[in-house]
Parts: sequence; C-alpha cells; structure tokens
Amino acid sequence: MTPTVHKASTTRSESPIGAVRMQVAWGARLFDLFNVTLLSLLCVITFYPFYYVLICALSDPQQLIAHRGLLLWPQGFSLDAFGRVFDNPIVRSGFLNTLIIVVGGTSLNLVLTCFGAYALSRRRLPCETALMIFIVFTLFFSAGLVPNYLLVRNLGLLDSRWAIVLPFAVSAWNLIILRAAFNAVPKDFEEAARVDGANDLAILWHIYVPMCMPSIAVVGLFYAVAHWNGYFYSMIYFSDRSLFPIQLVLREILISDNSDSMMVGEASSRAAIGNSIKYATVVVATLPILVLYPFLQRFFVKGMLLGGVKE
Amino acid sequence: MTMATPSRPDAAAPLALRARVCAELVRHRLVYLMLAPVVAYFLVFQYAPMIAAVIAFKDYNPAVGIAASPWVGFDWFRQFFDGLFFNRLIWNTLLINLYDLAFGFPAPIVLALLMNELTSQRFKRFVQTLTYLPHFISVVVIAGMMLDFLVRDGVVNDIIAAFGGRRESLLLNPDYFRRIFVGSEIWQSIGWGSIIYLASLAGINPSLYEAAKIDGANRWQQFLHITLPGLTPIIMTMLILRLGQLMTVGFEKILLLYNPVTYETADVISTYVYRRGILEANYSYAAAVGLFNSALALLLLFASNRLSRRLTGNSIW
Amino acid sequence: MAAVSLRNVRKLYSNGYSAVKDFTLDIGDGEFVVFVGPSGCGKSTTLRMIAGLEDISGGTLEIGGRLVNHLPPKARDISMVFQNYALYPHMSVRQNLAFALKLAGLAKAEVARRVEDAATILQLEPLLERKPRELSGGQRQRVALGRALVREPKVFLMDEPLSNLDAKLRVEMRASISKLHRRIGVTTIYVTHDQVEAMTMGDRIVVMKDGEIQQVATPIELYERPLNKFVGAFMGSPAMSFLAARYERGGFAGSGFTLATGKPALDRLALTEGQDVWLGIRPESLRIASEGAGNLRGIADVVEPLGAETIIGVAIGADDRLVARIGGHLDLRAGTPIELSLDATKLHVFDRTSERNLGLDCR
Repeated sequence: MTPTVHKASTTRSESPIGAVRMQVAWGARLFDLFNVTLLSLLCVITFYPFYYVLICALSDPQQLIAHRGLLLWPQGFSLDAFGRVFDNPIVRSGFLNTLIIVVGGTSLNLVLTCFGAYALSRRRLPCETALMIFIVFTLFFSAGLVPNYLLVRNLGLLDSRWAIVLPFAVSAWNLIILRAAFNAVPKDFEEAARVDGANDLAILWHIYVPMCMPSIAVVGLFYAVAHWNGYFYSMIYFSDRSLFPIQLVLREILISDNSDSMMVGEASSRAAIGNSIKYATVVVATLPILVLYPFLQRFFVKGMLLGGVKE
Repeated sequence: MTMATPSRPDAAAPLALRARVCAELVRHRLVYLMLAPVVAYFLVFQYAPMIAAVIAFKDYNPAVGIAASPWVGFDWFRQFFDGLFFNRLIWNTLLINLYDLAFGFPAPIVLALLMNELTSQRFKRFVQTLTYLPHFISVVVIAGMMLDFLVRDGVVNDIIAAFGGRRESLLLNPDYFRRIFVGSEIWQSIGWGSIIYLASLAGINPSLYEAAKIDGANRWQQFLHITLPGLTPIIMTMLILRLGQLMTVGFEKILLLYNPVTYETADVISTYVYRRGILEANYSYAAAVGLFNSALALLLLFASNRLSRRLTGNSIW
Repeated sequence: MAAVSLRNVRKLYSNGYSAVKDFTLDIGDGEFVVFVGPSGCGKSTTLRMIAGLEDISGGTLEIGGRLVNHLPPKARDISMVFQNYALYPHMSVRQNLAFALKLAGLAKAEVARRVEDAATILQLEPLLERKPRELSGGQRQRVALGRALVREPKVFLMDEPLSNLDAKLRVEMRASISKLHRRIGVTTIYVTHDQVEAMTMGDRIVVMKDGEIQQVATPIELYERPLNKFVGAFMGSPAMSFLAARYERGGFAGSGFTLATGKPALDRLALTEGQDVWLGIRPESLRIASEGAGNLRGIADVVEPLGAETIIGVAIGADDRLVARIGGHLDLRAGTPIELSLDATKLHVFDRTSERNLGLDCR
C-alpha cells in the first residue's frame, strides 16, 4: 500500500501509521491473550472432574478420606478399589449386558436405518413425501412416558433385553442423516448398477453402503454411544438385576449408595473403601468411551455437520 | 406379446386403483420389503402409543384393557390444573428452561466465536477435542461426579471454604438447584453445541473479510458486519428448535440429582409424570399430564417457527 | 439378432411435459446410429427409454425381435456408457469390469476371460488394479467402454461419452470408438449434441428437436439434402447462413439484395410466384468474385484467418448476414466491401412458414 496518507506528518520520524499499527497490534494481542486464557480455563474446568475421579480411584482409600484441600495428584497408590469392582459379579454382568445391547442393538439400528434411508431416498417411491412427514412428525411429538411404558408391558417385553432395543430401533434423526448421504451419491452409479443387473438389495450393499461409509460409521457411533450410556429405560423395564446394564449398576453404586456387597472390613474403613469404589466404578464404566473417543472424534463431528447443517 | 397401452391419467374406477397399487408394489417389491420393518417400527412404537394415550381421557383399568375402560373426559386434566403442584411444575419447567436459554443457548455460540479467533490451529483442535468429551459421558457418571463434588466436604465446598464461604451440601438446598443443573448442562454441551456454529463460521466467504480489511474495517467491525450476519440464519434455526423444547427438560439427569428436599425447585413435569405414572402406577393421570406436556411442546414449536418466519424470514417450514 | 425397433414411442411426464413425441425408427443389426440434437431435444430420454431407465409412456420397443417395454434393464441385454462414466469409485478397474458378470453369476473362469479380453482390446492391462480416481479422463472413458464390452450385449448405448474430455482427447476417442465398433460389430446407439461426432461416427444420424425426429439419413445425405431449415442449420460447421427472400419474377429478392440463379437451378425447386422463402447458403458454396461478376454484395465485417482457409462474416444490406469459407489466406481487412458469387446448384431454399426444403421431393 502506498504510504501517501499522512503527508502533514512526514516531518516526524516515525509516522502515525507506525503508531497506529503498534496500537492495533497491542489491542489485538491483548484480546488474543484474553481469549487463550479463557479457553484454557474452560479446558481445565472440562478436564479436572475426570482427572479428579481418576486420581481418587488410584489413591489409597484411607489417605484419600483424610485429605483436605484441592486434590492434584493421587494420595498414595492403591488398585484395591479396582480389584473389588471387577470382582463384583453385578459389575461383570453389567458390562456383559451393556456389550450385548450395544452390539446387538446397534446392528439392528444400522440395518433398519439403512433400509429406511434407501427406501426413502431418490424419490424411489411415490409415497416418499408422505412417509417422510410420517417419520419426521415423531421428532416433534411423542405420546409420553406412560403410554410407551404400557405398550412395552402389554407386549410382554418387561424384563427382556428387547424392551430397550425394539422401542429405539430406528432414530428418525439418524435416518434423515443417512438419507441425505444416500441422496448425495450421484444418480449415475445406481443407474450403471441397474444396467449391470443389480437389484435393490445389491445396489444398497454394493453401491450405497461402501460409498456412504463415513456417514454410516457416524450414525453407528451415535447409536452405540446412546446404547452404552442409557440407564433410564433399563431402570423402568428391568426388575431382574442380572439384566442390569453397566450404567444402572453404576447408578446403584453412585447414587443409591449401594456398594455394600463389595465392602468387607471394619466399619471405619468401610466408608473409605466405599468412597474409592465409587471412583473406581466410574473410571471402569467410562474407560471404553474415553479410550475410543480420540480416534472416533472426527467421525462424530462430521456426522453432526451432515445432520445439522442440512437444516 | 401385447401392445403396450399408453399411460392414462388417474382412472376413476377403484379396480384400476387397486391394480395400480399392486403393480407398484410388485415393481418395487424389494424396496417395500426393506421399508416394511421401518414403517412397522414407527407404527408400533411411535404411533400406537399416541393412540394408547387416549387413556388420558379414560379411567384406565389394566384388568379390562384400554377399550373397555370408562371415559372421564378432561377430568384428569382438570385435576392436574387445579392440583397442588401445577403451579410449581409449570414454574420449575419454565424457569429451568429460561435459565438454560439465557445462559446455555449463547454459550456454544460464544465458544465458537472465541475458537474462531484463535490463531493457533493446534490449540484450537485441542480445545475442540477436549470440550466435545463431556457430551459422550453418560448422565449417570456426570450425576455421580456432581453428587460427589457438591457434597459437604467435596471439591466445590473446598473451593468455597478457601474463599471464606460457608460449607453446605449444595444439592440439599432448593435455591441452588437450577443454577447447578443449568451449569452442568452447559458444561456437558457447550463443546458439542459449538460444532454447528463453527461449521457455519467456516462457511462464511473469506473474500468478505478481505474486502472489509481493504475497506478499512477493524476486527470488531468485521465481527459486527460479516461474522454476526453470517451466523444469524443458523442461530435463528437453532433458537426455534430450542424454543420448541421450552417445556421439555433433560429429566434423566434431574431424576438422579433431585431429592424430596429440592422438589420445590427441581421437580419438573417429566419427573412428576415418572413418579405418578411409573412408580405409583397412576397411569391415566400421568398420561394426561404427559400428553399436556407433549401438546404444549408442539404448540410452542409451531409458534416459534411462525414467529421467526415473521421476524427474520428464517424458518424450518 | 440385435436389431432395435421403436414404433410411436412417447415420453410424457406427469406434469404434462412431452419429452419425446411419436418416435419411430428401425435400427439394423450391427448399425451405428447417432441421435443428435440440441439440449432438451429428447435424445437422452429416448436412449434411457431404450435402456429401461425411463418408463415408456406409449408405443413399442423391440430389441432383437422381442418386446421389451416392461422389462428391467438387466433383462434387455444391453449395456450403457454414461456421460460421467459412473465407475464404482471403491472398486478397482478389474472389479468394475467384473461387477455385472459376477451379479449375473458367471463362472469365475468366464469372468476372468472376458475381463482380460476387454482389457486387451482397450489397452487397460496396466491399469487393472488401480482405482478410478487414479486414472486420467481418457483412461476412465476406456474403462467405461470396457465395462460395457464385457457383458457382450445385444446393443451398446452411449450417452454423450466424450463430452467430458478435452478437444484433442475427444478426437482420439472418436477414432477409437469407431475402430471398436468395426471390430466388434455390435449394434450401437450413440447420443451426442456435437454434430461433428455425429458426422464422423454414424452410419446413420437421427436429428431431433423438441422431442421429434427431424430427419434420419446418412451423414452426407443430411449435409447435402437437409429436409428442413433446422437440420440445415444444425449440421455443418460453420453453420449454414440464412437470407430471408421472396421469389418473384424468376429470382429472389431480399431486403438488401437480389439473387438471380438462372433457370436450371430453379427447375429442381417447387416454387410459386411471390412465395416467401429462406435461402440456405453453406459457407463453402461461396467464392470471391471480381467486381461486377458476383451475385451477392456486402461488407466483410469479420475476417478469421485460419491458415488453411479464411472465414469471412459478410453483412448483406442492413438485415442479413452470410458466412463464407474461402480456401487459403486472404489479405482482407474488416470493413471492406466484398463481392461473392454463389454456386446456384448448392443453394438450399426453404419455405418461410413450413421451413421444409423446397428442393426435395415432398412426401
């Protein structure tokens, strides 16, 4: 840029341009500093609770109870709590149940959602618009907790794993995401496949599924996380404790303070051990997500964008 | 070999209609086969309960079934409206939502804007990765952590004491419940909620910023005249959706955090329905309350959509 | 036997739009037929109806003597090359070629043989394990051709396969496809909007406009004896020029010129006194005449020297324009007056209202 602006002050050695430039830099730099500080604070607030739980779980129970003030590192070291947690049959069955539900439930979810997305994409069917309204409406209105509960009960699904899989077999939201992904595949591929002799199932399996794998992965992850984290419906539909998924077990331990079965020992150390068991259980229940999360995070974001920005 | 007849417009005869429907079903038979379980799911698990919700107008007796149970019209609704808890429930549901709207809605936007201004891409990615995490943690774990932190000798009280305050069990004080709850909601969702705004920000044409710089706009002015207008459509859309949820609350978390002592500020319509309907088996009454809630939510969604269309031209339909 | 026969084929959309009206054509076994016309003329729609990708609203379609109106694409024994190739991006070239054969349940040995044969013919051997995104435009085109080849169908359908290639590649591929057709001899229906492709590749050309066939003929016949003004204007580059004129007293009079053609030329035309016509003049039927010896006068306002020839745009009077193509290089400046002589035997006369060529037998 030609510096012909401030003719009047060319007598001064350092023109006001320089002064303005320096001022701008000063203001911007201050803002940047403030920004980074604020965000770092947010990171600390986000991270500290997890860190806290982890170090508590690794601490010696007695020392932990005795500790006062802000906790920054483990007090002593003990894996005792972890041992007790893993030895607890309810925790083990909880994991097993959750695993069954996550794997089985997500498989069903993906198959049905792919079917639905395929059938409702590309103006294949004359009734497509009507069906989409039929499905999208359920995003905005639901019958409520009691009618759904009664339905499950009347279907005889109480105390059956189907009770928390079937009523959630298809998520309208995820179906919309997949449908958008399918619609984004250029029409030519399907036509070429038809000319090559493929029927609808072959087209779905050979064309759409491979080409939309990122979206399918995201939708699958959304479903899987929902299954892993669910507790409420298991709570109202299961009375048989052997069916409890891990979150429900966790709830008993954390909130109902029901860790009696895992504690043996004198009364005074009971409280300390009970305390540590809580932390250990949280770590154990959350660890799979924490471990997988960094790798899967990119997929989650992409899916969110596909579904959300489509608005 | 027959000569193909040219297609004709909709024939009036029902015979022709049935023939056409059959032809359509056969022609796309695999597609309909794929569609069938999906439609069945929605019919059985979404729409059938809507029909079952008719028990809100009946005195449902499980022994005789829905059809045979006697009608009571709007009695349950009247009972609810006249009831002791009506005001409290509406008030709590509304207030928690308004708190969440006032603080929880802008928070992800502000976060997105701040992250957008970061110069270091690595730090930005770090912040993103970290702040998305709480969204994936189960509500049980979060509630468990909160219960632990907010107890008399928990972390939060330690901090309060360090500043000279008085220790108390925070979850036993009704006055603090809303703040705590909304705070936890923000903590959990601020990162994840910012994604969509970050995406919109990334979609703003960079040439606009360059033109503004040449025109002499400073950072603040660029923000005001380019960034903010660029974000307005998505903000309005999200706002409409949010307003439509004014009467629904993440009740699963409240269920874990509240207790009879804090009912006066913590009890919302959904938790009330849970207690009366599931725990006390007061099916018809709870169904009525739940139906009231759903209908109200739908109404609010329509209203906020129309309002937005009127005021800003953005709407969902 | 792989003749294709269309009788009164129509395509009517539900919104009332008629994309193809009354299309009747017989294509012989082994013939290379080109459908050509401007955008929206219905050529692609007709091809897709033959393929089975669009429903036929009326009329009959027979392939190899069999009525196929209601058969799905795979039952029609055809294969298709798409404009955008539609190569499956997640499959290698070999898998792309083999896909249809595997779906049909062919034996592994047979699949391998056909893939190898196609790869040899199209020189795809070094590319077999690559994915489509690793190939150039021309290579992808050849894979698309290969995919059509391996199915050994009765009819090849090609929907503007060369439009996505650059000019030089297009010329090469034109020759390749023609050679391929001579070698394999399968009935081919080729759709394009490029009249040069049509002229160079087709045994016969079907010119379409607004869903209707304008003319079906060999390339030279289309060029020398266009049935109407549209065909005359469409075929040939640079395009035919048109002068509005009226036939009176044995000659043609336009707003800025008169043209005397002499009796022999008029004999072959069915003209009535006072009839309004279009005079169709091909650029190469004009010569530069010396002063006073020509039959058209005007101002040369555009001069395009191409080396081997010169294209001149001439303004005749106030309203009319001509394009002339003169061999060799001319030292002519834009804006100079120019005199042209027209070979009257090459003049096309079209009726102003019906636009039919008056020099041909009207049936």
